[in-house]
Parts: sequence; C-alpha cells; structure tokens
Amino acid sequence: MDTKAYIQSGIIESYVLGLTDAHETSEVELLCTQYPEIKKAVDDFALSLEKNAFANAVTPPADVKTKLMAALGNEFENDKAAPVIPFHTNENGAAPSVKMWQFAAAAAILLFVVSAGLNIYFYGNYKSANDNYQALLLQKNDLQASNGIYQTKANDLAESLQMMADTAMKIVPMKSVKHTSDLATIYWNTKTKDVYLLQNSLPQTANDKQYQLWAIVNGKPVDAGVIDACTGLCKMKNIPSAQAFAITLENKGGSPTPTLSAMYVMGGV
Amino acid sequence: MPELKKYTEAELVLLLRQRQQESFSYLYDNYSGALFSIIAAIIPDRDLAADVLQEVFVKIWKQIESYDSLKGRLFTWMMNIARNSSIDVLRSKSFQNSKQNRELTEAVYEAGGTTNINTDNIGLRKMVARLKEDYKVLIELSYFEGYTQEEISNMLSIPLGTVKTRLRAALIQLREIVK
Repeated sequence: MDTKAYIQSGIIESYVLGLTDAHETSEVELLCTQYPEIKKAVDDFALSLEKNAFANAVTPPADVKTKLMAALGNEFENDKAAPVIPFHTNENGAAPSVKMWQFAAAAAILLFVVSAGLNIYFYGNYKSANDNYQALLLQKNDLQASNGIYQTKANDLAESLQMMADTAMKIVPMKSVKHTSDLATIYWNTKTKDVYLLQNSLPQTANDKQYQLWAIVNGKPVDAGVIDACTGLCKMKNIPSAQAFAITLENKGGSPTPTLSAMYVMGGV
Repeated sequence: MPELKKYTEAELVLLLRQRQQESFSYLYDNYSGALFSIIAAIIPDRDLAADVLQEVFVKIWKQIESYDSLKGRLFTWMMNIARNSSIDVLRSKSFQNSKQNRELTEAVYEAGGTTNINTDNIGLRKMVARLKEDYKVLIELSYFEGYTQEEISNMLSIPLGTVKTRLRAALIQLREIVK
C-alpha cells in the first residue's frame, strides 16, 4: 500500500477532526495498527491540534468548575479512604464512617449472640413447662377417671340406701350355717318382687369359684343368680315367692343345682 | 498545559477511572481552557458555551471507561466530545429559536455590549480564516456546523465527489497552518 499517498489524501485530518463516517473511521483505525507511519501521521496531527488548542485556550467562567464539582459530588471516591477498607482501625487511621460501620457490625454480632443465648434459655424453659403441663394433664385425666368411679359407686350406694329405706322392702338376714360369722342380707321388694343382695361378710372366693343365690320355693331350690362383684346392693333375679334364701359356693358361672355341702348362709323369710 | 502536567495521560485516565476527585479537578484545571476554545469556536454565546463545557466534562467523567488509549490521545477523544456536544446544541430547536430572537434584537446587542465572543479569533477558526474562501466554507459547514458531505453537496449545489476532494485538500492546507 502506498502509505504516503494515503497520508497525503486528507483522510487522516478528517479522522482526527471527527469528519469521517463510520466506514472510513474503522478503515483508518485498522490501518493505524498495520502501518506505523499512518499511526504517526494521526498522532502528529492530533498533537498539533492539541498544542494549538492549548496555545489558544479560552478561560471559561469560574463558576463552571464549582457547578461541576457540586453536580458530581456524590460520585467521587473519598480521596482519604484507601481502595481497600481496612478491618482494623488505628487512632489516626480510618474515617468515621468506617468506625460507625465497625461499631454497627460489632453491635449486630453481639445482639445475635445474646439473642441466640436467650433462644436456648427460653427453649429450655418452654420444654420443662411443656413437660410439666403434660404430666399435669395425665394426672388430671387420672383424677377425672377415679372421680367417675367414685361417683358411680356413690350413686350405687345412694340408690341402695334409698331402696333400703323403701317400706315395701322386706329384709331377710341369712346367717352362717357353719356357725361362723358369715352373713348376707336379702332385700326383697314385696311389690316388684325384685331381689337385692347385700354381702355383709362372706369369705373371699378362689378365682375359679363364685357364690350363687338360691330361693327355696316349696322346698325346692330355685336359681336366683350368681353373685358378681358389686357395690352396695346387688340386683339378683326376680323371685315371685320364696320361703327362704341360701348362698352356696359353686364353680364360676353358676350351677343348675346347689351343692348343699358348700352352703355358707341361709335365712327364712 | 502539557509541560506543566503532574500526571501522565495514562496515570490521569487510571485515576479518573478510580473516581478520584483530585484527578477530575486536575483534569478540569488543565484541559478546560483548551476544550473551551473548541466549544467557543462553535457556539458564540458565552453562557451557552459554558453550559456545554459543563456538559462535556460530565460526559468525560461518565464515559472515561470507553476511552481507548490505543486509538488516540486523551485530548483528541475529549476534543471530539466537545465538538459533538457543541454541534448538538447548535442544531437543537431551542438554540435555533434563540438565534432567531437574537437576530431580531441584534441592534440592541451591538449597542449594549454583547456577551458573544467573536468566534473568528478563537482556536481553529483563526487558522481556518487563513484558508481561501471555498475551502473555508467547506470546513465551516462540516467541522463547525456538523453537516454531512451529502448535505453540503445539496446546500452548495456542488457534486458530492467535489465536496469530498475539496474538503480533503482544505484539511491538508489546514494541517500545514496548524503545524
């Protein structure tokens, strides 16, 4: 390429003055990287324009700089601050803003530690309170249950007492046939013919045995029911008429006929 | 002035990119006069030219990242920002309106002392004034007023090729004057 002719074409000056179009601009920039003499011609003309501009400098109004510095005030990095903010302050070193930042960070960390400690403490408190609550809840349920049992028993007893007080109730004491202190009492409602048994004093039975009540009707024993565990008066079978009542010990579940040898108590009406 | 520089161009650009206030202050102190001569040669109104100068320094500050030292000198880059900003203002509607007003009241301006600068004495214009008339017109329209060569060809009714050749020849002559 004839660089001399290119340099003499005026395109260098057009380029430096900003009069070239985009295509010409990239052409000159490319040739500058390939031909040092073209690059030098560009730099020479640029430098002579620069010198000319400095030689003919026109002092602008003084307030332009003031306005500029105010307008860009927020965008300047603080000249005093180092590019890397030091983590440790010394007496004459870091700016107040850094101290503030460090103080805030320290306060935040302290608060976090205190908060974490309180969390653990309060969680412990919560846990023991919750355990106590659960225990109390269980205890309350137990009490409620036993209260229910007592209430039922009290109701049964009250009912028994009421029945005993009934004037239609006939009382038949049954005494031991073996001259022991065994005793049981029949409460027989003469109107409804309902039979109730009160076990005043009967020996404890073995697990496979059970007491059975018999009504003696015209010399013959009639089953009046086996005796289950009950509070107060135990309701037995309805017996329309009887001359006597007796209790025998039978195998669990009762027997169709009484075992006379195992008779404990008996009482005539 | 270049010989009074405390920083090299490379140092100055680096510090500007680091957003150092001191470097910007230095840039203004050292380059504002030269750049103002570029602007004032295009915009005769002194107050308006001062506004443009402020705008130009804001642009330099914001665009310093895009300056490429391999493509040319820092001043050349700033000079082109100054010229382009000036021509934008010159071509703006508000300037055209105020120019009309000024023309209407030209007598008043001339009688009462004007804030306008006689641009013929400023910077490159002083050099251009020494060129012959048909070269002067082409540089006036292209460099100082920002018209494209096609626009100039239409305005002057000269073929585009002739505009191009003549402008290039004018610039060669200008180069010799500026040297």
